[in-house]
Amino acid sequence: MRSFLYFVLFLMIAVIVTVLAAILGDEGAWYFAWLIGTTMIVLVSAAGGAMMDAHEEQLAEQQRAEAGRRG
Amino acid sequence: MINGTVVDLSRIQFAATALYHFLFVPLTLGLSFLLAAMETVYVTTGRPIYKQMAVFWGKLFMINFALGVATGLTMEFQFGTNWSFYSSFVGDIFGAPLAIEGLMAFFMESTFVGLMVFGWQRLSKGQHLAVTWLVALASNLSALWILVANGFMQDPTGAAFDPVTMRMRLTSFQDLIFSPDAQSKFVHTSIAGYVTGAMFVAGVSAFYMLRKRHMDLAKRSFRIAVLFGVLATIGVVTLGDALGFVDAKAQPTKLAAMEALWHPEPAPMPFNLIAFPSQAQQRNLGAVRVPGVLSLLVTHSLDGTVADISTLEQEAQQKIENGIPAVQALKTLAHNPQDPAALAQFDAHQADLGYGFLVQRYAPHLSQVTPADIEAAAKDSIPPVAGVFWSFRIMVGLGLLMLAFFVLSTLYSLRNKIERKTWVLKVAVWMIPVPFLADEAGWLVAELGRQPWTVYGVLPTWMSASTHSVGYMAFSLIGFVALYSVFIVVEMYLMVRAIRIGPGEQGGSGGGQAQPRPTLAPRAVPAAPYGSKLEG
Repeated sequence: MRSFLYFVLFLMIAVIVTVLAAILGDEGAWYFAWLIGTTMIVLVSAAGGAMMDAHEEQLAEQQRAEAGRRG
Repeated sequence: MINGTVVDLSRIQFAATALYHFLFVPLTLGLSFLLAAMETVYVTTGRPIYKQMAVFWGKLFMINFALGVATGLTMEFQFGTNWSFYSSFVGDIFGAPLAIEGLMAFFMESTFVGLMVFGWQRLSKGQHLAVTWLVALASNLSALWILVANGFMQDPTGAAFDPVTMRMRLTSFQDLIFSPDAQSKFVHTSIAGYVTGAMFVAGVSAFYMLRKRHMDLAKRSFRIAVLFGVLATIGVVTLGDALGFVDAKAQPTKLAAMEALWHPEPAPMPFNLIAFPSQAQQRNLGAVRVPGVLSLLVTHSLDGTVADISTLEQEAQQKIENGIPAVQALKTLAHNPQDPAALAQFDAHQADLGYGFLVQRYAPHLSQVTPADIEAAAKDSIPPVAGVFWSFRIMVGLGLLMLAFFVLSTLYSLRNKIERKTWVLKVAVWMIPVPFLADEAGWLVAELGRQPWTVYGVLPTWMSASTHSVGYMAFSLIGFVALYSVFIVVEMYLMVRAIRIGPGEQGGSGGGQAQPRPTLAPRAVPAAPYGSKLEG
């Protein structure tokens, strides 16, 4: 039941977004570009932070593996 | 007629308060989305360092937000106190977006800011993240409405002058909010705010890295900020180009002033990289020119041409001559709003009504206007060229400098070499004021370039001010500058203090877990002192 409610919620959001995109794309292309661009900028920069963690974890693992080989 | 000194003082007062206010606004716009980025990583990865980052930068955001609101409030009142004719003339149009901006800023934005700051212990991770995104959205939406209002001043669409009520009325709200100027101005300004936020976070993080303090926080903040900054700077340059394209059609005088283009030239037109414009002599006293670039930049073609100042002045003369009968018809309509001959005369000439007002500065009685008056008013239709020209170049130059910085910093950060590049970190600290200067220069291009109009082509600035005394204006100007300077000092002190202290223990106790509501425990009720007596 919970999954179904989530499905309905997300479907409604998708419909609203599609309608808004159609209106904005026609009447206010720059506003639409702002919405898409801002989301992209935030997500790319957030991914950059997460990538740093993944890189540091990988380095720590390599160091542990090297220490294990030496030991 | 309004005293010219009063008009100048009113302009200086508005410019001073707006420029002070515009030191705070871009940082709010950018920092809010940077907070959203940091908290998104916290919620998706669950790493406490990102919560610490969101709490720390959120504290700096709050300092800036509070002072931004304080400086913004007085500006809205200035429309009524110092620009009463303007408010009466275009209030029916300008009032609506301004009111929505107020509602956005003080209801939506302030409510969610409160929840964001005090909600760490009360809200779940997801709820808090939603609140942070809503703060960012609300901040930028409040900017949207003020820029829609400003877009109307730059390119008045969706409105018409009503000769019966003697003021402008809204004809299409849709045209107002979707005007090309409002759209391109909003995206350009909002994303310039992102660049400001990114440079601020990168600079402060670099300061920590140079001092070897809070390294985990600083490295991650720097990485997020430079990626945010590089994309935003590309966006702001692209959207600035779009705004220039829109202005070429909507405000040719601003564009001609931005390029210091005095006389017609064949395509492809050269670009004045550096020039020393003389408004009195109507020429540049020395210039460094790049062949063909102006046509390419403004028209996106080598065959395109841009209107020059001398041509625009000639066009203004024709518009003034056409606008004079419209103003004369209004004088008749002021006594008899239904006069058919005056209404017909107004309809025939209303397109150039504003130009008729423009010449009244030189000829209050339009029946006595001379060719010299018309020529002087036509020269007035050109904004101060040197100020617009140099503000534009400062803005663009600083924008390109920031682009170079962000590209380099992103490269070093992605290669995890940034800690060792101390010279880049030092540059980052020194770069903190750069976006603020670029923002201020951009504001000057937009507003100085709109002169001599408050509403382009419709209402001249000299008519828009209130009829105050010079002493009143001078006194209030000194008061504002003194008060706002105190605000800047307070902001600097609080910011520097918060940065020196650095991030403390992470805010909240539950790692973003929803906290149970405090329950109301049953209290022991003392026995009523007279109870026994009542009972007998």
